[in-house]
Amino acid sequence: MYTAWTEKHKPRTISEVVGNEEATQKLINWINSWNKGIPKKRAAFLYGPPGIGKTVAVEALASDLKMELVEKNASDHRTAEAVQRFAGLASQYATLFGGKRMILFDELDGITGTEDRGGVRAVIEAIKTARCPVVIIANNAYDPRFSTLRKYCLLIEFKKPTILQVMKRLKEVCASEGIMADESALRLIAERSGRDVRSAINDLQALAQGRRILTYENMTWLAERDRKEAIFQVLRSIFYARDCEEAKRAIDAADVDPDMLFQWVYENAPYQLTDPRDLTKAMEALAKADVYRGRIRATQDWKLLRYMLDLMTAGVAMSRQRTKPSGWVPFRFPERVRWLAHTKQERQMQSLIGMKIRRRMHVSSVRAVKEILPYIRVIFEDNTEMAAGIAKWLDLDEDMIRYIAGSEGQVKAIVKNLGGQV
Amino acid sequence: MSFEMWAEKYRPKSLDEMVNQKEIVERLKSFVKARNIPHCIFAGPPGTGKTTGALCLAHDLYSEGYREHLMELNASDERGINVVRETVKTFARTRSIGEIPFKIMILDEADNMTGDAQQALRRTMERFTETCRFILICNYSGKIIEPIQSRCAPFRFTYLSKEDQYAYLHHIIQRENVKMLDEGLDAIFEVCGGDLRRAINTLQAAASGGKPIEAETVYSVVGRANPADVREMIGLAMKGNFVSAREKLREMILKYGLAGSDIIRQIHIEIFRFNIPDQWKIRLADAIGEIDFRLVQGADEEVQLSALLARLTEAGYEMKRGV
Repeated sequence: MYTAWTEKHKPRTISEVVGNEEATQKLINWINSWNKGIPKKRAAFLYGPPGIGKTVAVEALASDLKMELVEKNASDHRTAEAVQRFAGLASQYATLFGGKRMILFDELDGITGTEDRGGVRAVIEAIKTARCPVVIIANNAYDPRFSTLRKYCLLIEFKKPTILQVMKRLKEVCASEGIMADESALRLIAERSGRDVRSAINDLQALAQGRRILTYENMTWLAERDRKEAIFQVLRSIFYARDCEEAKRAIDAADVDPDMLFQWVYENAPYQLTDPRDLTKAMEALAKADVYRGRIRATQDWKLLRYMLDLMTAGVAMSRQRTKPSGWVPFRFPERVRWLAHTKQERQMQSLIGMKIRRRMHVSSVRAVKEILPYIRVIFEDNTEMAAGIAKWLDLDEDMIRYIAGSEGQVKAIVKNLGGQV
Repeated sequence: MSFEMWAEKYRPKSLDEMVNQKEIVERLKSFVKARNIPHCIFAGPPGTGKTTGALCLAHDLYSEGYREHLMELNASDERGINVVRETVKTFARTRSIGEIPFKIMILDEADNMTGDAQQALRRTMERFTETCRFILICNYSGKIIEPIQSRCAPFRFTYLSKEDQYAYLHHIIQRENVKMLDEGLDAIFEVCGGDLRRAINTLQAAASGGKPIEAETVYSVVGRANPADVREMIGLAMKGNFVSAREKLREMILKYGLAGSDIIRQIHIEIFRFNIPDQWKIRLADAIGEIDFRLVQGADEEVQLSALLARLTEAGYEMKRGV
């Protein structure tokens, strides 16, 4: 049976909600204030981008406090009349069975047009007379339609969690599903989701369900799964074309992004064309294609695209003159694409350190990374006392020290020399 | 031993402390005497005292509180036209309080400014000459547009002589109690040339090992600080191992953040040092020049340099066949 992991691995209690500690705490405090009578703000307005746990937080909190959650969302009708009927529930404090109740208006952004006319006003009326907590959820609290409504609500902003927080959640899901996942694979999923936890978990399920191990490779292969066959087909046509026409036709036949295809051809050329003279011609054709790409970028003159395509398809195909056929050589995933993803974090770290150096040493951060950081690295490897002095002088944090020093033992020694303070 | 970067710690504070670039220093001192300076361009290779010269000039001109009359911008970090329009202009237009009626704006690595930004700068320099003097610092004055050059007094900094560099390093060696063998000092000059910043960084990294510095200590530091070995990459390509050479290249660009222009300059130098027939060196220089040109035009560094590596692979192959 197919269960959506977003449901299956939903937080059961509010402490499991990803990130947003401040917002959830604010929500908890507000709910608790109901124990001392009806608070000034009878409604809480939770807002923020989609997929970051607003609804889930409310549901988890209701379950933590054993409250009955009465929910209305965009899929329901929300004309004034419908809301009023629903809101009647809000004016009663206790449920039939004596428990407490919480009212939730989810996806309030969804109130639109004539159909839901008067809906927002009805929500306001409901809040005014509410005798139990009312929670409103929308992406944008500052929508002009909500200007009056806002006055009656405690505003609680939910923010996107960090990549690391999303990754942590993905790790927990993997752990409970019994999947071993590479850090880099999870990072890519988290990044692609735009820090939307829900969509990240959906992606993870699409990629990892039924596997025991998830690596960066099957990640990218799968993400590109529709594209993969298409790309292989084009690559075959290019590297084994008999004439220009055949090579050029390849790209028309498939809907492949030219930049992505370029990376594939660029990666595979040296493996397919092993004679150095053929390889030189092919790489030169690709370099020329790249020059055209630059010209397109500079002039925005897209008709130049056809020359770029000619060179990267037929140009490469016609380079094969001397390479002896050596049977089937499998196509490889573009290393460079992988590298870029892998080294992104490293480059960010370098530039942060570069800025620290720049503040002290009258050089640009770029130059600092290239010309000064390498020597600092040597010092950090050789002399923890001097390293500690420099770390303090540059105001480096522990992550930066770790990046520069490399080994954990060295980091400990440096931090110890700093008196344990970073 | 003190625990900050020595290159900064021992940066001269006043023009009197600068031991090299004698003619330039003399002229700068005459500006201080006259309490007036023109717009200037300081051009020259790295580590030759351009930034230091500018800072010393400001220090001597305004004495201790000189920081208040001075702004330092680095064009590599802030190269766009908006910086000129906003930051630079705001600083330049307001009058300085004190006996010297102008402020100083140091624009470091000015050759990295975009053309647009330079055009905007030209107007700013003109309009606010009374309240602000500019010192543009760059490696090549050729990358500064003509109209700006013509508004500035040019100063060409050159590499330090061996004697000047030794004098400088000796000063540090004594102050920091470093045990240094003569061969170590020679080795530093050999690998750093007259680039004093690099020399001091090398000295400090070598000294951090805590042992007397021999030539070998210096070479080892330099090797560890420059893991991107262009020579090795060329060797791999020429031996026919294009794939490994390309991987090295990728490492240099993506992992160590080397600029394509630096790599190609290194390749150019190394090709002439390689033991290959002279007519091949010329042929390859031509190929290198073509790629360099494309890089200047903004082409992709890795793709272009890979094409060059393929050319080297082919060259190696043909040399072996005796073509």
